Amino acid sequence: MMKRDPALFMALVTVWLSFAVFIFLPFLRLLGATFVVDGKLSLANVKTVLSKAYNVKALYGSLVLATAVSITGTVVGYLFALAVTRTRISKVTKGIIGAVAMLPLISPPFTSSISLTLALGPNGMLLKALGIGDFSIYGFLGTWISETLTYFPVAFMVITAVLNTMSATLDDAALSLGASRWRMFRTLTIPLSLPAIVNSILLLFGASLADFATPLILGGHAFPVLPTEAYLLITGMFDLKGGATMSFLLLVPALLVFFLQRMMLGKKSFVSVTGKSGSRTEFARLPQSLNVVIAVVCLIVVAFIIYLYAIILWGSLVKVWSVNNTPTLEHYRYVFKHGQKAIKDTVLIAIISTVIGSLLAVVIGFMIQRKEFVGRRLLEFSSMLNYALPGTVVGIAYIIAFNTKPLVLTGTLSILVAAYVFRYYATGIRSVIASLEQIDPALEEASLSLGAGTVRTFTHITVPLIIPALISGMRYLFIHCMTAISATIFLVSVRWTLLTTRILESMTELQFSQASAFSIVLIAIVFLADFILKHVLKFTTAHITRSQEISYEQIGA
Amino acid sequence: MNKSALELIGVSKLFQKDGESVLAVDAVGLTVKEGELVTFLGPSGCGKTTTLRMVAGFELPTSGRITIKGKDMTNVPVNKRGIGFMFQTYALFPHMSVYNNVAYGLKARGEKDREIKSKVREALRLVGLEKTEHRFPNQLSGGEQQRVALARVIVMEPSLLLMDEPLSNLDAKLRIHMRTEIRKIQQDLGITCLYVTHDQSEALTMADRIVIMNKGRIEQIGTPFEIYSNPQSVFVADFIGQANIIRLKITAVGSDTISVQIPRGGVFTARALRPERLKKQEAIYKVGAEASLIIRPEQIQLGPAPAKEDQFPAIVESAMFVGSHIEYFVKLPNDSVIKALVPYQTGMHIFSAGDDVELSFDVASAVFLPN
Repeated sequence: MMKRDPALFMALVTVWLSFAVFIFLPFLRLLGATFVVDGKLSLANVKTVLSKAYNVKALYGSLVLATAVSITGTVVGYLFALAVTRTRISKVTKGIIGAVAMLPLISPPFTSSISLTLALGPNGMLLKALGIGDFSIYGFLGTWISETLTYFPVAFMVITAVLNTMSATLDDAALSLGASRWRMFRTLTIPLSLPAIVNSILLLFGASLADFATPLILGGHAFPVLPTEAYLLITGMFDLKGGATMSFLLLVPALLVFFLQRMMLGKKSFVSVTGKSGSRTEFARLPQSLNVVIAVVCLIVVAFIIYLYAIILWGSLVKVWSVNNTPTLEHYRYVFKHGQKAIKDTVLIAIISTVIGSLLAVVIGFMIQRKEFVGRRLLEFSSMLNYALPGTVVGIAYIIAFNTKPLVLTGTLSILVAAYVFRYYATGIRSVIASLEQIDPALEEASLSLGAGTVRTFTHITVPLIIPALISGMRYLFIHCMTAISATIFLVSVRWTLLTTRILESMTELQFSQASAFSIVLIAIVFLADFILKHVLKFTTAHITRSQEISYEQIGA
Repeated sequence: MNKSALELIGVSKLFQKDGESVLAVDAVGLTVKEGELVTFLGPSGCGKTTTLRMVAGFELPTSGRITIKGKDMTNVPVNKRGIGFMFQTYALFPHMSVYNNVAYGLKARGEKDREIKSKVREALRLVGLEKTEHRFPNQLSGGEQQRVALARVIVMEPSLLLMDEPLSNLDAKLRIHMRTEIRKIQQDLGITCLYVTHDQSEALTMADRIVIMNKGRIEQIGTPFEIYSNPQSVFVADFIGQANIIRLKITAVGSDTISVQIPRGGVFTARALRPERLKKQEAIYKVGAEASLIIRPEQIQLGPAPAKEDQFPAIVESAMFVGSHIEYFVKLPNDSVIKALVPYQTGMHIFSAGDDVELSFDVASAVFLPN
């Protein structure tokens, strides 16, 4: 291969080396920490962890929570998807629903937890308004509500995509054969969207299992889950072995869900527009009672989300939350004075990670989609490993791997960047692959047949055509890097600190207003970056007929 | 000596698919003269596109050699072969204007801007698209995109123009218009051209010579007229135009004719194709074996029964008036159903289902093929 395609050979060597250091080494060290005791293979650590009732409770809690969230999130997401694809509400209303549903996706993971605390926590605004005195948001219920609000948008997008590709003539056929609207919905719409429902349940199960921020704030002592317990074991008790073992327990169901979800996507036939259908008819109306349910749920959820965001904004602008409501900008002054380093660090790390991650994504995505070489499948799988694992697992694996010689990286910028790059470039790789799948290889062949070499073809044809996909991949990468906490909480240091960890600190110090101000600044930065990238994207897609922008579904987020 | 523009010598291609190897192209040999337009015709999966892609250099042959203008090109990469390739999907670069699409190859070749400009303009003029330089492919109609694709290859003055079903994405009317136009430009510029198609009327109207392929092998090479009137195999007869194929028992063998027994009729004698096989007294052409009588529907006449010795008795199964013709399906006593297209003339008698008829045809238009 070295002779025939030296560029590919060099790329492969580089990629496999980087995987060895930043994916396999941490993973193996984590397994080592879990299963090697005194230089011998042993289940002693697992036994010790499972012998403590509190840990078993955490395992149980994680699974129950993930099940509950995957069900409620999918139901809410399905109703939202029906609202935008199957009801006659105005385009503007649909736009608002879509925009509000996107908010939780691009917000830091704490947003809904913080605002839920402000609304329903001690001295909660909503509790006071409703006159409820004795209520605790901490525990299963609060975590469940918060995670449902955070993750239902994923279900919404996955299901909307599928509901949109169905053929409206099927609806017409069912009705013309005498089916009632309920029967049509039950026997046609639901079964045809079943793959999306299953996919959504798996995605949400994985997301909830991995979620760290929400249970940390809202779970409390009464409702432990694996990621937070692993974190507390390591940071509170300095029990690295225990933490590693806990995170291994988390890894097993997470990988299982990941494999199931991949299998689902693999089987899926991409229903596409054939251009054969002639005039596209509108989808048939849903039964009236279902319309009422959709309207009520959407209204409540949308209103609640807007309320939660408003409350954070309001919280950041008052002196002491719920005690002294005098408007003030002092929290923002604090953020820009004492939080300046965190803002700079976060943005710098996010930009570096996005650039490196995107470059790597182009190379890896191109190799996987367009080249033939031994171990291609393995490369694809390995590239996704850190992404499939919960952040807590990756964070713990990284401190175990990079705390000791020969690679002491803890406390450096590189470890944060590496953690982000090898975790979140997966969205970039997926979008590059998805985009290359849509680009006819004949374009590259045309270039070659016109006398251009392979390098000119790559730079003049391939790269310009995948740039739109790359930019949308960069959007997600940047957002993830700005808002992530689960992996990096283990990796921050005095030298390098992040906005998300500052929010967490403020929350644990009960400085709710400060936490709110930090959150607002973070959200503002993310919105600004997203806005810029979106417009760059529009500019680059001007002449490419098919929009290369990819959806969360294609990425398999 | 006039060198041939293209020569394929024993070219084969073996694909590995799902652990099985498939022989997509089997020892294809062909010589194309300078300025000739040769079409590759055959059913899908017959290896015609693979052959074209090997000539282009997108695929490497498993064995055999390919020479262009006498130079061995078998292992030369695509971009060094000096060929032009037109794709079924046009493959216009969506992010480049029409001008930049056409100029792409010239730029890659490193020509001067001034020359590029005049060449691009000339090529666009030739295809009738002078005014679209600044537009982008998605702002053009299908026919216009097709012309840009044509301009993009001819501007390179390729020694060989390869086209892979270039018209299959156009609607029927435009397709007929474009094939005359492509043929005219090809002849005006004198470019040697290989043209892959599955549309036989395209092949018949455009080609100097047609190569009929089936299952990776060449079935027959010849001018459109030769292919139509002298098919060398049952496959070719069946594939080009419409043909009735009637299997009959041989009763006598002449020097270049054979005779067969007409079911419930007399004896019919006609010319046998592949006379070399007849001369060799091969078993397939022996008395008692079956031969296929090939007769095209438009060459059959119907008359009332009874009739002469060498005519075929039959019963009308269905008759359909299709405007210029009457389309009959008739059944021979040996149960083979054949089709006849009889030109309609005012006042002529039209048979109806169940009628006894006699089929007759000019002996010169009927041929026998060995099975």
